[in-house]
Amino acid sequence: MPDSLKSAVTDFQTKFLAFDIDAIPKATRDLLSAGCGLSDFLTACIPCMEEIGNKFEAGEYYLPQLVVAGEMFKIASRQVKAVAATDSGCKYIGKIVLATPKGDIHDLGKDIFAVLAEASGFSVQNVGVDIEPKILVQEIEKTGATILGLSCLLTTTYASVRETVRLLEEKGLRNSTRIVIGGGATEKSLVEKLGVDAQTRDAYEGIGIIKSWAAQTGSDIETKEAVA
Amino acid sequence: MNSAKRIYPKDSMTAQQRFDAAVRLETPDRVPLSLMLYYFAPVYAGVSMHQYMADPGTYASVMKKVWEEVGPWDIYYNIHPVSRLIYSYVLMMRTLWPGYELAEDEMAKVEEITYMNPEDYDSVIDGPELLGDTLFRLRMLGRFCKEAEGAGIASLATRMIIHLARQVRNWRKDFKWWREQGAAIQIGCQAEMPFDTFSQARNVLNFSMDLMRTPEKIGQASTRLAASYATFSVTVARLMGVPTVQCYCHRSSNSFISPKQFEELALPGLEVVVNRIVDAGMTPILHCDGDWLKNLPSMRRLPAGKVVLQLDGLTDIFRAKEVIGDRMCIFGDVPAALLAEGTPTEVGEYCHRLIEEVGKGGGFILAAGCEVPPNAKAECVRAMVDAVKKYGYYGERVSPPVAA
Repeated sequence: MPDSLKSAVTDFQTKFLAFDIDAIPKATRDLLSAGCGLSDFLTACIPCMEEIGNKFEAGEYYLPQLVVAGEMFKIASRQVKAVAATDSGCKYIGKIVLATPKGDIHDLGKDIFAVLAEASGFSVQNVGVDIEPKILVQEIEKTGATILGLSCLLTTTYASVRETVRLLEEKGLRNSTRIVIGGGATEKSLVEKLGVDAQTRDAYEGIGIIKSWAAQTGSDIETKEAVA
Repeated sequence: MNSAKRIYPKDSMTAQQRFDAAVRLETPDRVPLSLMLYYFAPVYAGVSMHQYMADPGTYASVMKKVWEEVGPWDIYYNIHPVSRLIYSYVLMMRTLWPGYELAEDEMAKVEEITYMNPEDYDSVIDGPELLGDTLFRLRMLGRFCKEAEGAGIASLATRMIIHLARQVRNWRKDFKWWREQGAAIQIGCQAEMPFDTFSQARNVLNFSMDLMRTPEKIGQASTRLAASYATFSVTVARLMGVPTVQCYCHRSSNSFISPKQFEELALPGLEVVVNRIVDAGMTPILHCDGDWLKNLPSMRRLPAGKVVLQLDGLTDIFRAKEVIGDRMCIFGDVPAALLAEGTPTEVGEYCHRLIEEVGKGGGFILAAGCEVPPNAKAECVRAMVDAVKKYGYYGERVSPPVAA
């Protein structure tokens, strides 16, 4: 990495870790001027998000820091995408489809998780809220994602989760798709009861889970897609 | 309570006496039970959600059926809205209703929209303290509530009084039946707390940035509205004839903010509200969604034996008992997931543990965490009733609960 890019990355990371959201657009422009591509951008963001995540796990940071970090990442990634969308060297560590299942319209937790997952190196397809099981399965087929994240703040989503698992089995996709649920209406006992693979109590624990799954698959997914 | 009717044959107290003793952290004859089953009831009765919410007669018959077939229980959770305008005023969120914005059988939902600007903090801080909360809500209502769109403050206030009178008339009629059954009424007035209203009104991202940029304004503004919030709540509770105020604290937990932010920005206003309600001879019920464990030490400064702490399953209720159980009556927290997916045995075991550990020495009300979900199994809800009958009587120690 050339010195000018190194310096721009350091400046970007300093602003990011100080939650200086107003300074992010300029810091990102400086990154791009220094020749930063999508891959370098993600490489710059990942340690920042890890540091913020560690402080969140340690109880030093709370939701506001996560939310603002996510927004800073979104602002910067939009700028980078506009210039570096054809960066073919970008490697994602995994692909994930995310949604709030049919029966619930809450999106806060899901959207935070989506941004954290992107900033952690995942390609994310955020499908939306109140999503029918068949749509989720179509998204898995379309994207080739190996992870499905479902946000459940209401118990009324359980039937949709079950139906999604059933459809994935019917399509022969269940063995290649790992499913994590999260949200206020979830608890560990639901993993077995709903037939999913994991439950997370918060976004950062969830990121840890999907990272461990990605590491188990053992191969990076090379893609020409821009950050979603 | 007017009626001296007992809920179960072995009871030696009325439901109201039992509730009051639990609030005072005394040991009642048994653990009181509140079944907060507003959304469960129509599903159980096979009635459309729209008909249930729109027609008071249907609501009454559904509740009677649930009381007779699933209950009885001690404390009636009265959140049935007669007026959409009043409902919006107390919750301060855009709500989507079955049969209106949603299909007839869907559950009512909340749609988070941003309707408050940063300048509104200044308006609150510089505005009057007297009626401050009322004026703030009236000013905001037109920004998110269809029923208030385009109305000036004066005409909206007039409409509010008319709707409130309708709501109170309906409630008082409704309460008469419940009191005849021997039940205590849970809520005299309910409303979202000012700090939490700001969080919802700004949305999570904006509010997070406000917390970083201008935290002092959030704290000042929420404290500024506290006295008026309390005055309105106490007045409505008096009209209702029920001396409790359910204060919704949806966004003050450590799931949203740090304990430091809670103590410095949210607690000062909360303290004003609680003290004023207590001074009026009423009981504040703090509806505390999310994880509150790290907030509890600072809440010890609230008056002892006067406040109910309602937990939704995300706070470790057993630790909460240790931290603040000598100061506040704890209310909760059978998880929604357990009621929807568990077995009656699992529910019974969890209730048993709650009764033995959180209920130890009194100061505890058994309830679902937040609410009984619409897809709860009826047999799991009945298991809560059975657990109270089987394990809930103080002085009748049965076998110890199964450890978690």
